[in-house]
Amino acid sequence: MTSYTKRTVWGIIVEITSANNTTATILAISGRIDTATAPELEQTINKEIEQGHRKVLLNFAGVAYISSGGLRVLLATAKKLKSPDDKFALCGLSPEVYKILKLAGFTSIFSIYPSEGEALAGW
Amino acid sequence: MPAGNDQLVPSTWQPLPGAAGAEIYPYIRKVDVISSNSFLIRTPDVILVIDPGGLTDQAEMLAEIIAGCRAERDRSVFVLLTHAHIDHFNGVRDVPAFAYPNTAVLLVQEEGAQALERGDRFLTQADMFNLSIPPIHVGVHLFASTRTDQADIPVELRPANGGRLVITRLAEDPNGHQAAHERILIGASLAVDCYHTPGHSPDSVCIRIGSIFFIGDLLFAANPGVAGLAGWSQEALVGSLTAMEPLLTGEGITIICPGHGRPITPANAASMLILVKRDALTLSDIAEFNRERATAAAVYAEDCMEEVNELFTIMAGRLDYVAYVLSELGEAGIAEDARALMNGDKVDELLDAFRVFAEEHHRGENLSVHLALKAGQVIGKLEQTFNKSDLSQIIDPGMIRRAERLLSDFTTMFRGYTPPREIAPVDLSALLDVLVAGCTIPACSDDDVLSSADDDEAFRAILIARIGARPLLEDVRFSILGKPEHLPVVLDRDLFCDLITYVLEDLVGTGSDTIQAEVRTTETTAQLTITGNAVTACAETGRCRRFLYGLSERAGGSLVAGRDESGAAMYTIQVARAI
Repeated sequence: MTSYTKRTVWGIIVEITSANNTTATILAISGRIDTATAPELEQTINKEIEQGHRKVLLNFAGVAYISSGGLRVLLATAKKLKSPDDKFALCGLSPEVYKILKLAGFTSIFSIYPSEGEALAGW
Repeated sequence: MPAGNDQLVPSTWQPLPGAAGAEIYPYIRKVDVISSNSFLIRTPDVILVIDPGGLTDQAEMLAEIIAGCRAERDRSVFVLLTHAHIDHFNGVRDVPAFAYPNTAVLLVQEEGAQALERGDRFLTQADMFNLSIPPIHVGVHLFASTRTDQADIPVELRPANGGRLVITRLAEDPNGHQAAHERILIGASLAVDCYHTPGHSPDSVCIRIGSIFFIGDLLFAANPGVAGLAGWSQEALVGSLTAMEPLLTGEGITIICPGHGRPITPANAASMLILVKRDALTLSDIAEFNRERATAAAVYAEDCMEEVNELFTIMAGRLDYVAYVLSELGEAGIAEDARALMNGDKVDELLDAFRVFAEEHHRGENLSVHLALKAGQVIGKLEQTFNKSDLSQIIDPGMIRRAERLLSDFTTMFRGYTPPREIAPVDLSALLDVLVAGCTIPACSDDDVLSSADDDEAFRAILIARIGARPLLEDVRFSILGKPEHLPVVLDRDLFCDLITYVLEDLVGTGSDTIQAEVRTTETTAQLTITGNAVTACAETGRCRRFLYGLSERAGGSLVAGRDESGAAMYTIQVARAI
């Protein structure tokens, strides 16, 4: 990674940290992804994609809860990043969030890794 | 701003329709259990407050308006309660304009008056809010037993506030189909008709002034969390609803003012009355809804909502997944139809609202009864967010049945009944075979897909079901040891299946790709141990464990959740063998 920038949105509830280099954009999210915060997450991801960052890794290590609105944001992102050169993956999922993704069928749509390192190793 | 004959403008003085010379000031609140609506009515010589509400702020605001009226022209003040529940009167206790002797005279039906005068914390529902109330003097007892045999004879009263009342007990219908009726002339010209309508409480009255009926909590009396309150009576309620039917839609009635929420038309009130009566008729033998039950309901509500939250998020997510795959296949129209079967945004909004409320509850900002009522409200609305039969064609019908059972069990429990269960002899070996097959074999086989290839509609339906209903154990190595050919046990089949499914979902959902079940027996018991190969969250969280423990007890067994020596999650369920 060549550069690392950190931005905070969603006030004290959720923090997004972006790390951009030539290979990946990492969004580190913390807090709940619910009715209030899912639109903000979607906007932030979209902004990255609009800027041409098409290898996106969401680090969910700090996410304790995801609502159905949050799931839709993940699907919408998967839809946007489906060209052969694009990458979209999640890492650091808590057992509670992994369970929701697994039972909703999402684990077959995008890759899920234990950590950032393991995700980026394959990119 | 003048009001029309069929509407009232909130928080504004306006002519009271049908009562010449009288004006009304409606104070309409959003519906809650803390405080009722209040209605101020004034004539040149009298001010009448119907239900001053449960909050001091509200009573102070009313007192200020009354003071303004009295500054223009002094007049005597009366307070009439539709019933003596704390949310309808408690605000006046600390407000001098109401609380000092002889400032305002309280009029309450006799049983409510007696409850107030002895500081009865149960009939007034103060106990539900963990409050006590001091004795409150009631100036005029309505429907007093001393007037029972004085039908049609006007009785003049001169209460301590210097005002004048004339009460006439109307002769009762010999068939007993009408509500007891007293006509009260307050001051020189304010004619008030009171009808005794017990049921919600023994002292409930409906009040007609001009073309307005004030009906207190009559339309809420069959609601969960309301039905069964101390003093509630199903028989009396059904009688009161029957008696009020013709009166609410009677000649000249244009507005119905409930104790909570906005005024409604007589036609709407009549329709609601029919539904309330239908509900009330089903409510025989419900348990009393008291503080203990509210506390138990709140605990169950939180456990239940935790599961509801997870199930509904998974269901909504699965539907989105189906829609996603369909749109990838170029079936955007069908994808949209699938997505429309469940309102995910509404689900999120409701679940969020409950979470915020529960957090407030844990900070001590609201009581158990509030949390239980909130859960009841959220669950009632959640039931309307999904189309069950169509959804069952797309995602695992077992999941939808579990969601339905969760919602209805809470409502049943909240209603004061024990959620249903049927403990009966079952062959555990056969039941496990069916359960495992259901979790392993796809709902639609390859043959189903091939045989539908010539029929577009059938093919689409099978394709959707195949995408939506993936077997829970499809990517899991599952084995079961020690299962005899037959093992008769006693349990509730549906609840036991739910329990095993929750356990398997927990193991699969938290990353186990190998699950082993083992059956062991003693002379009197059968024990099923299910172990995954990954650490599970559920075994470690108290609330989830409490929910599963409760479910296993209801299913007729007992559960121990823990870990095996390797740290993997392990659930042991024990049931009694059928002798």
